[in-house]
Amino acid sequence: MNKPPLTSSAHRPGLSRRRLILAAGAGGLGLTLAGSRRGWAAGAENVLKVGFVSPRTGALAGFGETDGYVLQSARKALAKGLTVGGKTYQVQILDRDTQSDPSRASQLAKDLINNDQVDLMLAVSTPEVINPVSDACELAGVPCLSTVMPWEAWYFGRGAKPGQPSPFKWTYHFGFGVEEFHKTYVSQWNGPVTTNKKVGVLYPNDADGNAIRAHLAPLLAKQGFTIVDPGPYEDGTTDYSAQIALFKREHCQIFNTFPIPPDFAAFWRQAAQQGYARMVKICQVAKTGLFPSDIEALGRLGINMASACYWHKAFPYKSPLTGLSGGELAAGYERTSGKQWTQQLGASMSLLDAGFQALKDSSDPRSKDAVVKAIRKLNTTTMIGKVDFTSGPVPNVSAGPIIGCQWVKAPPGSKFKLDCVVTEHATDPNVPVEARLLPYHV
Amino acid sequence: MSGWNPLAPLPAVERWTPLAKVSAAAGVALLVLLALGPLILNANLLDKLTTLFIYVILALMWNALAGYGGLVSIGQQAFFGLGAYGAIRLADAGVNVYLSLVASALLVGLVAQPVSAFMLRLKAGEFAIGMWVLAELAHLLVNLDKLVQGETGTSLIALTAYQADSRRATIYWLALAAMAVLSGIVFALLRSRTGAAIQAIRDDEEAAAAVGVRVLGTKRIIFILAATGTAMAGALWLATAISFQPKTYFGVQWTAYMIFMVLVGGLGTFEGPLLGAVIFFTIEAWFGGSGVWYLVGLGGTALAFSLLLPRGIWGAVERRLSLRLLPVGYHLKVPLGIPESNMTEGASGQAPSAVAEIPPVER
Repeated sequence: MNKPPLTSSAHRPGLSRRRLILAAGAGGLGLTLAGSRRGWAAGAENVLKVGFVSPRTGALAGFGETDGYVLQSARKALAKGLTVGGKTYQVQILDRDTQSDPSRASQLAKDLINNDQVDLMLAVSTPEVINPVSDACELAGVPCLSTVMPWEAWYFGRGAKPGQPSPFKWTYHFGFGVEEFHKTYVSQWNGPVTTNKKVGVLYPNDADGNAIRAHLAPLLAKQGFTIVDPGPYEDGTTDYSAQIALFKREHCQIFNTFPIPPDFAAFWRQAAQQGYARMVKICQVAKTGLFPSDIEALGRLGINMASACYWHKAFPYKSPLTGLSGGELAAGYERTSGKQWTQQLGASMSLLDAGFQALKDSSDPRSKDAVVKAIRKLNTTTMIGKVDFTSGPVPNVSAGPIIGCQWVKAPPGSKFKLDCVVTEHATDPNVPVEARLLPYHV
Repeated sequence: MSGWNPLAPLPAVERWTPLAKVSAAAGVALLVLLALGPLILNANLLDKLTTLFIYVILALMWNALAGYGGLVSIGQQAFFGLGAYGAIRLADAGVNVYLSLVASALLVGLVAQPVSAFMLRLKAGEFAIGMWVLAELAHLLVNLDKLVQGETGTSLIALTAYQADSRRATIYWLALAAMAVLSGIVFALLRSRTGAAIQAIRDDEEAAAAVGVRVLGTKRIIFILAATGTAMAGALWLATAISFQPKTYFGVQWTAYMIFMVLVGGLGTFEGPLLGAVIFFTIEAWFGGSGVWYLVGLGGTALAFSLLLPRGIWGAVERRLSLRLLPVGYHLKVPLGIPESNMTEGASGQAPSAVAEIPPVER
């Protein structure tokens, strides 16, 4: 046990004795627990338990909507067990719904760790899910993999400091960051649609908005874009006349925003009424417009909106776990659920791909040390492409693609109203470009 | 244990009824038993019990504020969040991480002093809303901190330096100690002169002022105590989760939980919030997975209680059976021969006693 520094107890006479009791008690606890754990593990020698935490209900339900299908496919692939080093293990994936509540995410993670004693934790989608789960794992010493949130908010948002060694030993994250957005936007905006390179930006006064304003906007300015920023607005604002007037006056032909979905709907309707939407040639949205339902909600105004996706069914990679290609996964989901495929399908699948690859690579999947060692050296191809922790932008992180795309009218005969097509591939040239970017028009 | 002579012919004031003695002893025994927890229990139970202790602290503090002080606040999450934030800041400045939890609670108590100067001038509904505004303000100010980076938040990673088992045990003991000390303070406060003043204010503020109770000063004591205790709960919650995302800590749901626990357990009773916390904890464990309907159920239950059983489960038990486990009021002990109707049976011991408690039960 680590001794608490004595300085704190020096001027408090009552405290030192308590510390002593604490230390003695903790020592005893260590012994009892060590004993009981050994006994427990003996009965479950051949079972691997993997926790899978995602938001299935609540405000973030859009992210978790497809997880049921992804898990079903993974369980089918693992029905005969997982063979590691000649030994076959039964696999249990314990999936949990955070209800979009960070406190609940934290409690669920602790429960999976203490009660179910999972060998590996997987967490997916948004800081509200991933950060609390990662923290619980880091505290308890359980290997944890996650994806789908900007890695900067995962790494620096959990207490890591720039330029210092990584404080994390057990938790790893893969996926896009600010640099990927930068590459994608430059590629998308210098594409077939010619503009005056004036970008009206609407970034809210929240974590994403301020991070994007601080880090992405200067990079874009360096590439010759003129950034017109009316300043931060509060989430939930209902009147955007001032911002719209400024964008009109400056004649911003590119529009970029990172809003919560209801705010964007309000803004864009006003922009259409007040004549700004007509002026826009590229309407590039992020954070909203990830899923078909977001765009459908905008009606006619949603057509030809540009977005960026962390996975697309056109990705050329197969899931090593299930053997499914992107097209097969999307088609399977549409057949089973009757709903349109979303980019989350491939992202959740890639997390399972990477997790089970790490278990396979480890010398002993029942040993947490061996598993985390395998994650540290993980260099594999999943459904979203390469996951490589040996050469990340910072330790514990593997950067992933974000591909420019556009919501266009679905071709005749389609079951759905809209179609998401790939329009550029700066962050992963293996992804085929499907269409030229079309100018936005109301 | 004074003021009671069984041989005295005249009515006597009794405080430590035999039942109270037994239950107080049982309470102390339970605390001792719980203190041995980390030696016996597994990690899962320890984490669960730590959560329960935090709930008890929250309920106890909100009850002290609303049940005794008559100060209905829907902004206690301000102190909950500040307690956690203070711990983050202190730990970042290099203070020992366990010490920073306690120090942060005490600092929030200090901050609550000037805050009380203007908040306590607000009355009833104004105070409730004012506290909510205060909580939002605290949230926005914390978001401005570069360390917290807006809603992105940060984590108390200093805790990862400690080994999991010893850390879990230490936080368990800290939570247990905080719960014991805070309930001890509330208990002692209610039995003191201030306690009589507090209960007088709760029953009728103007009348209390008229008989010479220092209303503002007394309320301030309660306000600061509740702020400190709630901040301690926030710091402890941070220690169990280590993720600090401001929205999570400054969310109004914390106050909703406090209100639920106190309303169901028994507003204005000492035992009620303890019972309420256990009930809330159990409900959460059983139904927490059912999502929205769980929250609808919580709200509905709280509503039903405030309409049908305004003094909660313990309030009803206390009134029907005249059962008082802990002696925060007084029992008037009347010799035999007084008409039956004034008597209560069994509950307070072998000798029948008429109950003339402070405070009166009805408001």
